[in-house]
Formats: sequence, structure tokens, C-alpha cells
Amino acid sequence: MTARFVAPIIVGIVMLALWEAVVRVAEIPPYVLPGPVLVAKTLWTDWPTLWPALVITLEITLQALIAAVVVGVLLAVLFSLSRWIELSFFPYAIILQVTPIVAIAPLIIAWVDDVNLSLLICAWLVAFFPILSNTVLGLRSVDRNLLDLFELYGAGRWRTLIDLRLPAALPYFLGGLRISGGLALIGAVVAEFVAGSGGRESGLAYRILESGYQLKIPRMFAALVLISLAGIAIYLLLSLLSHLLLRRWHESALSAEG
Amino acid sequence: MRLVGVRDVSKDFANGVRALEGASLDIEAGEFLSVLGPSGCGKSTLLRLIAGLAQPTAGTIEWPSGKPDLGFVFQEPTLMPWTTALANVALPLKLAGVARSEREARAAEALGHVGLAGFEQSYPRELSGGMKMRVSIARALVTEPKLLLMDEPFAALDEITRRRLNTDLLDLWQRTRFTAVFVTHSVFESVFLSQRIAVMSARPGRVLSELAIPAAYPRTEAFGTSAEYAALCRLASAQLSQALAA
Repeated sequence: MTARFVAPIIVGIVMLALWEAVVRVAEIPPYVLPGPVLVAKTLWTDWPTLWPALVITLEITLQALIAAVVVGVLLAVLFSLSRWIELSFFPYAIILQVTPIVAIAPLIIAWVDDVNLSLLICAWLVAFFPILSNTVLGLRSVDRNLLDLFELYGAGRWRTLIDLRLPAALPYFLGGLRISGGLALIGAVVAEFVAGSGGRESGLAYRILESGYQLKIPRMFAALVLISLAGIAIYLLLSLLSHLLLRRWHESALSAEG
Repeated sequence: MRLVGVRDVSKDFANGVRALEGASLDIEAGEFLSVLGPSGCGKSTLLRLIAGLAQPTAGTIEWPSGKPDLGFVFQEPTLMPWTTALANVALPLKLAGVARSEREARAAEALGHVGLAGFEQSYPRELSGGMKMRVSIARALVTEPKLLLMDEPFAALDEITRRRLNTDLLDLWQRTRFTAVFVTHSVFESVFLSQRIAVMSARPGRVLSELAIPAAYPRTEAFGTSAEYAALCRLASAQLSQALAA
């Protein structure tokens, strides 16, 4: 158990030390490659600029994730209720998914006046598909005998959905949610890159672009570090949520000793 | 009094397999009937037809005094893993619109009847195979049905657990006298449990012969080791062999 945490931490420290050493020994200028110490310092000194940017990016990510959950689950339920609706609309959901967001983002930004809204739409587009496809799979993976049992006791479609299909789909949904959490952040960052300086307020991606133009490379790295940390935090939070919801009953949340 | 009349029932599946052909069977109210047959002979299909979970391709299923409440026990425990034993047992009552406090009281009582008092808040994964099957039986009986249909419920359990569940099932049956239809491929189990055995042929299935088991209840370990039991098992085995040859 300790090896699980200690080993990657040692690897991380060694890599950072090597990086710092190479930068110092080879006297690489900070506008080419700043060392980790300088990046950490920049993170501290530029915090007043970086923090609001992080908040904006996280706001869009969170809003997009919530919208993805609402739309993804609603569509999945609709698909599970009617085979025809699923057959008619699922291909279009796949088309939305496979089209690269960088390619559609300029269109969306051009069509939607409000920049924040257009960023939100882009992030949502990337995030909603894993929730949709996983939830559809979960709603369909119900024990046949349990379905028979519900039929035997005269449960209607609605009752069967609430008391059987939705709980059975929960582990699948949570798996999709963990993927979507990361994708929502990526979607938000990519959309910000495409939008450039369109908005009055700017997120982390815009700070990265700006730092690039101004050759403030250490700040660029600091913003990158923040994006990575935000992604890790989202993943850990959603994993924790999944664990809390499933720990009493689902195999995925049980420890090996069971 | 006749509870169910199965008349010349045939069942074809969508893939063209004929599971049943001209199956006929009368079930008397209050009796313990076993349906004995080889694997894949359509026993389960017959049970599903009686339950109304499938419709016969030909023939009819008659209910002279109306279709009563029924309980169904599957081959697997078929419990909802995301909720407690109590909530699993209370499910039929919940679906019938019974108020929460009443259904929980009745579910707790049903759990007590199958020897699981104290396990109300356990999740299915925390229970052994035999205990899960007990929860499943409690759920089938919680509505106090007139008819209990069981589809090889103990087939996946070990011998010791199976014997104990057989005895306990008979206790429950003697106490409340529901009509029991017990599908099995075990000669020994069918003789031990039932008053009457219907022997089915291999696919396409139909009821080839019936055998009365006149031994008195309660049937205990002593019955299970008696010469009478052995003789009846021989008889049932012979009929099953005939059914396989037919």
C-alpha cells in the first residue's frame, strides 16, 4: 500500500531534481525552459493573475459537466424507453463525439454571441458522450430475472425505471462521469484556446497563450501545472463520489479482502 | 379443488425451438407438486407460462377460480445488489403500493420465517449463497401468495445447504399451505419434498407420467433415509428413464 504512494513520489522528485540540474548545468535560459524551482516561484508571485483564471476555467468545466450529466442521463433514459428514438438519434450522438472539438469550436464561437456560453457548449459537447453511452449500456444491462420479477408484480415502465433500471445503471454512469470530468476540463481549455481573447474575463488557456506571446515562459508552465492539478483533483473527487455511492454493494468498490 | 389447468400447451421460441408440445397438467389447491425432468425439457418454460411471463403458442392455461397472487423463485437468488435484504423482501409490497412502515414490518416478519432475523440491514453480497436464496424465498412469500412457483431454486447450492433449505421449505409450506410447484432435475429432491411428481419428457417437453408420494408430513431426516424413500426414488428414477427414452 505504501509502495503505491512512495514509488511514484520518488520518481517525481528524481525527475524534478534532474530537470533542475540540467537547466542549471546547461544554463538554459528561462524563456526556453524554466526549472521547476522557478515555475514554483512564478506560481507564487503570479497567483493574483492565475487564481482568477483558474476559477473561470473551473466554472466552465463544472457547468459543462453538470449540463453533460443532465442531458446525457435524460437522453439515455429516453433511448432506453424507446428503441426507435435510440435507433434514430444515437448515430448523431456518435457524429458529435467523433468530430474534433477544435474543428467545431470556431463555428460555435462565431454563432454564439456570449463567449462564456460558447465555451460552455464546446466543453459540454466533449463531455456528454461518455455519460450518454455508459448510461445507455447500464440501463440495458439489467438482470433479466429482475425484469421478469417487476413484470410479475405489475410494475409499470416508470416504476421499473426508478427502482430497477436507474440503480442498475449507476456504476456504469459513474464510470462515464469520471471520464467526462476530465474531458470537460479539456473541452473548456481547448475552447478557450480557440476563442483567444474574445472574452472580458480569461481562463487559464488564455493566460498560456498570452504568456507565450510575451515570452513569459515560467508563467506558461505555472498555468500548465494548474491545469494538470485541476484535472487530477476532478478525477479524485469523482472517484471518491463513486466509491461513496457504490461501497456497500458494487464489486468495483470492494477491497480485495472483500 | 383445481387451481390451475394446463391444457395441451405448446410453446415455440422465436429461434424455432419447440420447448413444449401438448403439455397438460392439473395443479390442486394446497398441494406440493414437483415437476421432474431432464435439463432443457421445458420445465422452466412451463413455469413461466403458468406465471404469465410468457404466452403459450397453442393451448390454454385455465384458472377455474381466477388467477391468484403468486410468488416466483428463480434459479439464482435474483436480488437487487444495491439495497438491503429487508428492502429486497419488501419489493413486491412496494410495487403493490403498500405504505413503507407496513411493508417493512411485513418484510421483517418474512425474513424471520426463513430464519434470517437480524440480517435485515445486510446487503446481498454480505450473505452466503444459501442465505441469499432464503431472502429470495422470503420475497416470494411476503405477499402471502396462494401459489408459489420455484424454478430449480436450490440447484446451485451445496448438498448440506440444499437439505436444510428443503426441510425449511416444507416447514413453511405446512405452516401456510400455499400451493407449491417445484421444478427440479433431482429425483431425490422431488421425492423428499412433494406429494405428487409430474415427470416430463425431453424436448419438446410434455408431462409423460405422474407419481404420487403418499408419505406423511412432516418429512424429516428419518424419511430421507427410510426404505420407503429409497423405493419411491427408484420408482421416480424408472419413470424419468422412461421419459428420457420416449
